[in-house]
Amino acid sequence: MLRSVSWRWRRRKAGPLDVARLRESFAQVAEHGDELPLFFYSDLFLKHPEVRDMFPVSMAAQRGHLVDALVKIVSHADDADTLTAFLQGLGRDHRKFGALAEHYDAVSDSLLATLEYFCGPSWTPELADDWKAAYELISSVMSTAAEEDEQQHRPAWWRGAVVAHERRSFDVSVLFVQTEPRLDYEPGQSVAIETSARPRLWRYYSMANAPRQDGMLEFHVRLIDGGAVSMALTSSTIAGTDLRIGPPVGVLTLSQPVPRDLLFVAGSTGLAPLKALLDQLATFQQPPKVHLFFGARAAGELYDLDSLEKMAVQHSWLTVTPAVSDDQKFAGETGNLADVVARHGDWSGHEAYLAGPTKMVEDTAARLAAAGVAREQIHIEDFGWSEP
Amino acid sequence: MERALTRAWFEDQSRMTPEELLTATFPMSRLGRRGYEEDAVQEFLTEVHAEFVRMVNDRTTLWQEVQRLRRRIIAGKSDSDPVLFGRADAHVHAVRILSTAQVTADRYVADAKAYSSRLTEEARQRHDEIMREAEQYSDMILEEAHAKAREAAVTALNTAVPPQTEHERQAAMAELAYLRTYSDVYRAHLRAYTEGILRGIEEWEQKEATSFQDGSQAMPFAAAPPAIDGNGYGRH
Repeated sequence: MLRSVSWRWRRRKAGPLDVARLRESFAQVAEHGDELPLFFYSDLFLKHPEVRDMFPVSMAAQRGHLVDALVKIVSHADDADTLTAFLQGLGRDHRKFGALAEHYDAVSDSLLATLEYFCGPSWTPELADDWKAAYELISSVMSTAAEEDEQQHRPAWWRGAVVAHERRSFDVSVLFVQTEPRLDYEPGQSVAIETSARPRLWRYYSMANAPRQDGMLEFHVRLIDGGAVSMALTSSTIAGTDLRIGPPVGVLTLSQPVPRDLLFVAGSTGLAPLKALLDQLATFQQPPKVHLFFGARAAGELYDLDSLEKMAVQHSWLTVTPAVSDDQKFAGETGNLADVVARHGDWSGHEAYLAGPTKMVEDTAARLAAAGVAREQIHIEDFGWSEP
Repeated sequence: MERALTRAWFEDQSRMTPEELLTATFPMSRLGRRGYEEDAVQEFLTEVHAEFVRMVNDRTTLWQEVQRLRRRIIAGKSDSDPVLFGRADAHVHAVRILSTAQVTADRYVADAKAYSSRLTEEARQRHDEIMREAEQYSDMILEEAHAKAREAAVTALNTAVPPQTEHERQAAMAELAYLRTYSDVYRAHLRAYTEGILRGIEEWEQKEATSFQDGSQAMPFAAAPPAIDGNGYGRH
């Protein structure tokens, strides 16, 4: 099984891999910045033109992803558990792109060619062997994880039909999606979504409900200025169209055993994963006490407050506090969400779940930590390999 | 040019070969006249022959190499043999060209993104403006309706000295009815105007109700206040 993959940085023929040498050479080539991935992809597409079609027109973001992944691999080279989990996720995640075994070899060739080119005279046969062995290890962990998924008949992607689209505010739309086959996931997880309107651009969105009998998924999409995918998804023309949906990812799930007191802090569409957790908690015999803070810039952007307040009326264990940052006339809580949460008293002993804009999440996490909430009790969304 | 490349020079029958050099004979000079010593000539020719052979071999080798490379280029098979001159350079050159093209494509996409971003930003500003105007408009109407309602209530209180004539009572009722209609019409307008100012209308409705209650305390003849719409979930 995958968990027992023995992660030995060893060359097949000669002695152990020289991790320090790998890092040193990577630091050297990394100085070339964007030139490095630019060379890599050009080399790959020249040698294997058929691969080009798997990528979007603009490669700017893709180049960033490649370098991020390499940095993560190189910096975690001596942390086997983290690295293995990262690479397994990466391998599974690549199935939806149609990545096949032969693509791993193609990538190997181009990666080595790129490193050789940028290393220049410091590229030695030993270094080449080290990199080759490291890549073999990386690709074997990735492709083994992908194959395991394949053997268990997990789809590489699910077909999703947008059955309803509700524009809740200028920036936020709520989508209801029916998948084929049924998608199983843990509440709090996310999936990558590709719309036929923007081929080969995948963006991550959290399901806003726990898995339902009818398999319906709810997504909250916020319009990002200039964001090609969010613009397509928030537009009403998306209703009735098909989506491709990747496998569920993400770790913002309920910890076990379920904590007694929960603090949920949602900024804008960060509400989605937390609403899925509420959905899950509502099925419990004795749900824990939950205090949910839901913040936005203006009152009109508290796009799902009605349904949250309905839930709060139904469930005595749930308290909902809306807050608005940029509208002093708002009758409820006003100000920065982190401040509002901090004002509401002592959260020590609570398990906190935070989701929303990066700054809001970071500020709130810092405030909670300062107020005595243990770091390991503060859960934030971490896509790991799959930066949205 | 094409001919020179496809046909070997040594296949050309009109060209001289080293063998012709060795077998060449010359007529003997007449007796008594001085001539070259035959052996020395023969020795020199042998040397020339050897040099000639070397040149021919060199040329043949080079010609064959040209042909081989030419066939390789035509067949497009160049990855098995790294000897081909400049192959690595050519590849790097191609990578650079493709990279430049990619960067250009990236820039176009980035430009389109920036443009779409600007459009969205403008649309959002326009949206905010409309919402603000709508709210101001609603506030204005609200103020006006309040002022009129208070004025009417105060007037009714001050002028309604008992015993009230039926005519005065009817006039007051008419005024009240007018104000209610006035307020209803404006409320309907606002509802239609935009859903976004729903909150403003709810506040208005509440304030209106309070205002009617204030008025009813002062006015013994006032009818019961109109029912408030039961919109279950206020945002307060």
